[in-house]
Amino acid sequence: MTLPRPRRVALGAGTSQTPEIPLMRLLDIQNLTVSFSQHGGLVQAVRGMTLHIDQGESLGIIGESGSGKSVTCMAALRLLREPPARITADRMVLADVDVLKARGAELAQLRGKAAAMIFQDPMTAFDPSFTIGHQIVETILAHRSARKAEARSEALGLLARVEIKNPAAVLDSYPHQLSGGMLQRAMIAMALSCRPKILFADEPTTALDVTVQAQILQLIKDVQIEFGMGLVMVTHDLGVIAETVDRVLVMYGGRVMEQAPVQDLFDTPAHPYTVALLASIPGRTGGRRRLTEIPGASPNPANPPTGCPFHPRCPVAVARCSQDTPVLRSTAPGRDVACWRAE
Amino acid sequence: MMQTALELRNLSKTYHIRAGGGLFPAVNTLHAVRGVSLILPRNKILGLVGESGSGKSTTGLMALRLLEPTGGQILVGGADITGLDHKALKPFRRKMQVVFQDSYSALDPMMTLAQIVAEPLHIHGLGSAREQTDQALDWLVRVGLDRSYGSRYPHELSGGQRQRVAIARALILRPDVLVADEPTSALDVSVKAQIINLLQDLQAEMGLSILFISHDLSVVRSLTDSVAVMLAGRIVEQAPTEAIFADPQHIYTRSLLDAIPALNPKDRQRRSFISPAQIEAGTPRYSAAALGIPPSDVPGLVQVSPDHLVEAVVTP
Amino acid sequence: MIRYILKRAVSILLTFVTVSVIVFLMMHAVPGGPFDGNDMPVSKEVRDKLMASLGLDKPLYVQYFKYMWGVFHFDFGVPFQSPGETVLQLLARAWPPSLILGGLGVVIGATIGILLGIAAALRRNSWIDYIASTLATLGLTIPVFVISMMLILMFAVFLGWLPAKGWDKPNSWYLPIAAYAMIPMATYARYTRSAMLDVLNKPFVTVLRAKGLSERRIIFQHVLRNAALPMVAVFLPMFIGTATGSIFVEAMFRVPGLGAYFVSSITLRDYPLEMALILMITMMFCLAYLLTDIVYALLNPRIRFGGKS
Ligand SMILES: Nc1ncnc2c1ncn2[C@@H]1O[C@H](COP(=O)(O)OP(=O)(O)OP(=O)(O)O)[C@@H](O)[C@H]1O
Ligand SMILES: Nc1ncnc2c1ncn2[C@@H]1O[C@H](COP(=O)(O)OP(=O)(O)OP(=O)(O)O)[C@@H](O)[C@H]1O
Ligand SMILES: [Mg+2]
Ligand SMILES: [Mg+2]
Repeated sequence: MTLPRPRRVALGAGTSQTPEIPLMRLLDIQNLTVSFSQHGGLVQAVRGMTLHIDQGESLGIIGESGSGKSVTCMAALRLLREPPARITADRMVLADVDVLKARGAELAQLRGKAAAMIFQDPMTAFDPSFTIGHQIVETILAHRSARKAEARSEALGLLARVEIKNPAAVLDSYPHQLSGGMLQRAMIAMALSCRPKILFADEPTTALDVTVQAQILQLIKDVQIEFGMGLVMVTHDLGVIAETVDRVLVMYGGRVMEQAPVQDLFDTPAHPYTVALLASIPGRTGGRRRLTEIPGASPNPANPPTGCPFHPRCPVAVARCSQDTPVLRSTAPGRDVACWRAE
Repeated sequence: MMQTALELRNLSKTYHIRAGGGLFPAVNTLHAVRGVSLILPRNKILGLVGESGSGKSTTGLMALRLLEPTGGQILVGGADITGLDHKALKPFRRKMQVVFQDSYSALDPMMTLAQIVAEPLHIHGLGSAREQTDQALDWLVRVGLDRSYGSRYPHELSGGQRQRVAIARALILRPDVLVADEPTSALDVSVKAQIINLLQDLQAEMGLSILFISHDLSVVRSLTDSVAVMLAGRIVEQAPTEAIFADPQHIYTRSLLDAIPALNPKDRQRRSFISPAQIEAGTPRYSAAALGIPPSDVPGLVQVSPDHLVEAVVTP
Repeated sequence: MIRYILKRAVSILLTFVTVSVIVFLMMHAVPGGPFDGNDMPVSKEVRDKLMASLGLDKPLYVQYFKYMWGVFHFDFGVPFQSPGETVLQLLARAWPPSLILGGLGVVIGATIGILLGIAAALRRNSWIDYIASTLATLGLTIPVFVISMMLILMFAVFLGWLPAKGWDKPNSWYLPIAAYAMIPMATYARYTRSAMLDVLNKPFVTVLRAKGLSERRIIFQHVLRNAALPMVAVFLPMFIGTATGSIFVEAMFRVPGLGAYFVSSITLRDYPLEMALILMITMMFCLAYLLTDIVYALLNPRIRFGGKS
C-alpha cells in the first residue's frame, strides 16, 4: 500500500513576531485551590497554587503522582465538573479572560482556540464512534469557517507533521484501530490544529518511543517559536523537562515546593523533595539493580498532614515543619522555594 | 535446561481494514505482527521495546489469548494454548495476568477500587468476601496507595494512581506470568522505582516471569534480563539487556539509544533523525564465513554471538 | 458485514426450527387432546374419527413434517375453535388491533421515555430528574391492569371524556394505548438516563469540551450516539411485545385483538392456532435480534471493522 506523502503545512503561517513587542501574559493564576467533595470527605487536590506564563515561554510542571498537576491544568480551562469540584482563586486569567467568571459560549471560544490541551491518557481521549479525521476536522471547524475539504487536508498535513507514517489511512481509522502512540500523536495534532496561544501538554509523550518522542518535542518547540505559543509541560520524564522547558515548577501534595530556571533546578535543587526526586532517577549505566525510592508514603489528599506536606518523609525536617506551612519565597532572582530549611 | 514460562512461535496478526464506505469497499491488509518468536524463561524479565505502532501491544495481547492470532503458536509452561477454548483456558487465565496500556478502560467505573482489585479473587472463588477485601486493601498499600483509597472510584484518581490500581489487580492472584504494557508510564520517578522494586521482589519471592513492554529505556535497563526490539511487526534485535545497551547491532536499536533525552539541560541539541529509508538501507550485513552459516540476501534473524540475534543480511 | 449478517441469519433459522420441534413435542406431550373437554363429551368412536380426520392419529413426526410443510407454504391449517376460517384469516382479523395498540404504545412510550431520560441525565438531581425517576418507578412497579383501571376511572368514569372500552371509534384508542405505553416509557426513561450518564462520565467527553465544541453538539452528536449503543439492545426486543399486544390491556379495554386467542388456543388444545402463534412470536423475536445485531454493528465501529474485544 503506497500513499502519497502529503505536503507539510505550516502551522503558524504569517504569525511571525518581532521581539520588540512586549510579551503578553497568557496565564496568570494566583492562589488556586481545587477540592472535590466525595462521600463524606473533601479531597484537597490543589492547595494554593500560583503560576504564570508569558507568550513564547515554556513552563514544566513536575511532581508526585497525585500532586495535582492534571487538576491544575483542567481547572485553568474549567474542565472539571463543578460540583463535585470546587475551584477558588484570587485571580485566574487565561488569554485576558477571567476564567472563573466566564460561562458557556465564552469558555467554548477560549477552549481549543486560545488554549488547547493534550490529555494524559491518549487511549481514552477519542470518541470511539467517530474516525480520527472526523474528530480533528470538527475541532478545526468549531473555531474557523472553512470548507470541510480544506479542514480535512489540513488535518492530513497535521498528522504528517506528528510523524505519522500513513496519515491518510490514520485519518479514516477509528480509535480502536490505532496503537497508543499513534493516538497520542493524533491528539497532539488535534491540539495544535487551531494554533492555540497556550498549550497544556499533560504527559504528551508517554506512549511514544524515544525516537518519535524526540521528534515530537522538536515539533512542539518549533511550533512554539513559529507563533509564540506558551507551553505548560506536565511530565514525569525529567529528560523531557531537561530538553524542552525554560522554567520548572515542582509540586507535592497540591502545593508548589519550588520554582526555578531549568538549569538551576538540575544543578542546585533547593527543596528536599526536589533533591529526593532527582536522586531517584534511574541511572543510565548498566546492570539490574534496585532503584532509589523516597521512603514513606504519599500524603493522602483527603487528610493532608499539617504544615509542610513533605515533612513526614523529609530527611531534614525540624519541629516547625509539622506545624507551620512554609510559604513560597524568593531566594534568588527567578527562584522560589517553600521550605523552612532552605536558604 | 532453562524452563520456559511463555513461548511464542512465529506469531502473526493481520488486520483487514476497510478503505472508504459502501457495501463493497476496498480492503487493505495490515500486518500488525509478522512472525514473532520469543522465549520468556521462568523467573526472568523480558523487555519488549520498539517503534510506536510496531505491534508490541498486539503481541502482548495475543500471548495471553486476549486477541486471536492469525498464525503461530503460544505455549505456556510448555503447554500449547493456541487452540484452547474458553473453558480449557480458565486454569491458565489464573496464572497469566495483564496490565493493559490503557489502564482506564480496564477499570469498571461503577466499582470501588477495593472491589476492582479484589475481583480476580472473586472470579476464581478464593477466600471469603472479607478476606478478599482485606487482601485488596493490602495490595493497594503495596503499590503505594492508602487503604482509604479502597472506597474511591476510578474517575477520582490521577493517572498514576489508576495505573497502580491496575498493577495491584494484576498481581493479587500471584500469577506465574505477567504481561505488563507500559505499566509505569504515568508514574513519577519515585513511585516508578517503588513499583519496579516491587516487581523485582515478587520475581524473587514467587518466581514471577514478566513480559515488560515499555518505551522507558532506563527502566528497561534496570529491570530486565534481556530485551527484544520491534520494528514494523518484526523483531529486529534480541539480546541480553547489557549487550543491547552496550553493543547494539541494528541501526534501529542504535537510533533508539541515540534518542534518549539528555538528563541535563546543558546537553540540549537539535537532533537529526534517521529516516525509515535510512533504516531500510542500514540493515546490518555479516559475512557467511564469519558466522559459519549459508548466505542469504533476504534479511532474517541471525545469531551474531551467543544469545544475540539481529535481523541482517548474510553476504557470501 | 454481509458475512456477519448471513451467519446470524443461519443461526436464526436453526433457532426457529429447534423451537418449532420443541413446541410441537411439548404441545402433544401434555395429556389430553382437543376432544377430551367436559363441555363436549363425545364417544370414543366419534373421537377417533375426528382425530383421524384431522390427522391426529398419525405418528408425531409425520404430523410435524406435514405441519411444517404447510407452514413453508403459508398454510397454517384451520383453527379447531373456529373451523369457518383458516388460521391465516383469523390472524388477519385479530392481529391488526393488537399491532396498532402495541406499535403505537411502544413508539409513544419510548419517545417520551427517551426524552425524559435525556432531560434527567442532563439535569441530574433537578425536579425533572425526580419526576422522571418517579414515573419510571411507578411504570415498572404498578401492574398494567391497575394502571388500566386508574385510567378508566379517571377519564371514562369521572371525567367522561373517553370511552372505557371498545376499539371501533378512534377516541376509544387513547386509553388502551396510554396504558400500554407505561412500561416502555418507564423502561426507556431508566435506560436512557443511565446510558447517558455512563457516557457523560467518559474521559473523551472532557476532551470534546476542551476542544471548544458547543455543549449542544457534544450532547446530540457524541453523547447520544454512544449512549444509543446500549439502548438499541433493549429497544428492538421490546418491539416484539407489540406483535402480540398485551393480554391484560386488551382484556381490560375489550380490544378485539389476539390476546384472547393466546389463552383459548392453549386451554382448548387448538393445536394449529397454538403452533401458529408460537411460531409467529419466535419469528418476531428472531427478526428483532437479527435487526438488533445489525443496527448494533452499524453503530459500533469495533464490530463493523473487527478488533480488540
Ligand atoms: N474527580 C475527582 N474526584 C476526587 N478526587 C480527585 C478527582 N480528580 C482528581 N482527584 C484527586 O486529586 C489529586 C490530584 O490529581 P491529579 O490528577 O491532578 O494528579 P497528577 O499530579 O496529575 O498525578 P499523575 O502524575 O498521577 O497524573 C489526586 O489525589 C486525585 O486522587
Ligand atoms: N483493531 C485493529 N484494527 C486495525 N488495526 C489495528 C487494530 N489494532 C491495532 N492495529 C494496528 O496494529 C499496529 C500495531 O499496534 P500496537 O497497538 O500493537 O502497537 P504498539 O507497538 O503497542 O504501539 P505503541 O507503542 O504506540 O502502543 C498499528 O499499526 C495499529 O494501527
Ligand atoms: Mg495527571
Ligand atoms: Mg501499545
